Amino acid sequence: MSNFRHDLPQKLSIKNLQFFYGESLALKSINMPLYSHKVTALIGPSGCGKSTLLRVLNRMYDLYPKQRAEGEVLLDGKNILEPTQDLNLLRARVGMVFQKPTPFPMSIFDNIAFGIKLYEKLHKHELEHRVETALKGAALWNEVKDKLHTSGLALSGGQQQRLCIARTVAIHPEVILFDEPCSALDPISTAKVEELIDELKESYTIAIVTHNMQQAARVSEYTAFMYLGELIEFGLTSHIFTTPDQKQTQNYITGRFG
Amino acid sequence: MSDHTVRAYDKELELLGRKIAEMGGIAEKMLADAMDALADFDVDLAHTTVNSDVRLDLLQREIEEQAILTIARRQPMAVDLREIIATIRISGDLERVGDLAKNIAKRAIKVAAEVRIPRAIIGLRHMHETAAMLLKDVLDAYALRDVERARAVWTRDVELDALEDSIFRDLLTFMMEDPRNISFCTHLLFCSKNIERIGDHATNIAETVVYLVTGEALPMDRPKGGSSYSDISSTVVSA
Repeated sequence: MSNFRHDLPQKLSIKNLQFFYGESLALKSINMPLYSHKVTALIGPSGCGKSTLLRVLNRMYDLYPKQRAEGEVLLDGKNILEPTQDLNLLRARVGMVFQKPTPFPMSIFDNIAFGIKLYEKLHKHELEHRVETALKGAALWNEVKDKLHTSGLALSGGQQQRLCIARTVAIHPEVILFDEPCSALDPISTAKVEELIDELKESYTIAIVTHNMQQAARVSEYTAFMYLGELIEFGLTSHIFTTPDQKQTQNYITGRFG
Repeated sequence: MSDHTVRAYDKELELLGRKIAEMGGIAEKMLADAMDALADFDVDLAHTTVNSDVRLDLLQREIEEQAILTIARRQPMAVDLREIIATIRISGDLERVGDLAKNIAKRAIKVAAEVRIPRAIIGLRHMHETAAMLLKDVLDAYALRDVERARAVWTRDVELDALEDSIFRDLLTFMMEDPRNISFCTHLLFCSKNIERIGDHATNIAETVVYLVTGEALPMDRPKGGSSYSDISSTVVSA
């Protein structure tokens, strides 16, 4: 596609990706870059394949039978779809935040420490420092620093979501995938998460699936518009939302679809 | 283009379009009447023209308010966003055209008492006809979303610049011939300046139409025809 920048480093490169739910072809020959340290938004009507695509990027689909991917997804040049790929390592490098906040039924501290302890053996001080850094990285520290040992489930929705983000960044991933992270949140929490995404892109490569057009326009530098399993248009967010190339894209973003 | 799923959105855009059309009609009439008032020394027509400006100003305010509300309500994207920005810009240009026509009408009231030089008015009439054509064509271009028509207006504005120059020279000559002509000719000088400015606003509208349809801007330097620029005959237009 002519909108690809050849001078920008690609953290992830999706090449001729096909995805099947059983016999049904859900993603059709997707070719797309995820540029390093940029936020890429995936938009499109329900059923277009954007969440499916997101879940290929950390091989979440492997958890389910009868779901398979063909083609290549290169992370720093290496194809993660290879059967020899270490999935735990992959998911440590490519983290995910879901639509519904999913705090573990543990204390706030343990929510963060749990993931770290799976991969690393740290002294108490180091662990505490990592937890603090993660919570600061998720803009949650000030709100919870005096109650780290209370349950994560007792936090508000917006705080729980930021806790999940903290949990994700605590293990130092390289890519963070957001699947409609604000759909369940009120406007203020949404704004805080968007602000957070803006800060996070300094250190991570980010992909975000969102139903909210304005959010996609606000938070991302690149946008991919998908429809019925195909990538219809990919380009600079500023271009797509002011002068999209494809009529379908324009129809979707202006509310003329369906 | 298909309709918005939310039909009220389409209605809001249609309303904006209708008001622009109304503004365009009023501006065109004001320009025509102002010129007639000047050429025929018709003071009553001049007064009517001056009063028409009120409706134009009101429409411009209504358009701006409506556009702002639509932006707040609908968060328009792509062509819708360009559409709404276009109505804001065009309404501003048309309001200024009305003001300029009003000024010509006011001058018509002033010159009614002056020594008259019919020859001097001929040049101005010609200039007016050109400007009126540009205005009509650009409003058609907007209504039809016709980029080529808009571009043609954009390039033809050079004719007005050239005409203004020649009127300037003619009026200077008349003033030098006889000092009693000075007052009348000076009023006409201002009128020719006003008409030239109306042409500029038509050019602005043309640029807006091109932006609206294509999302792109016309080049910064449009062809210029005045003698203060190098060579009138070699203003080649690259479309």
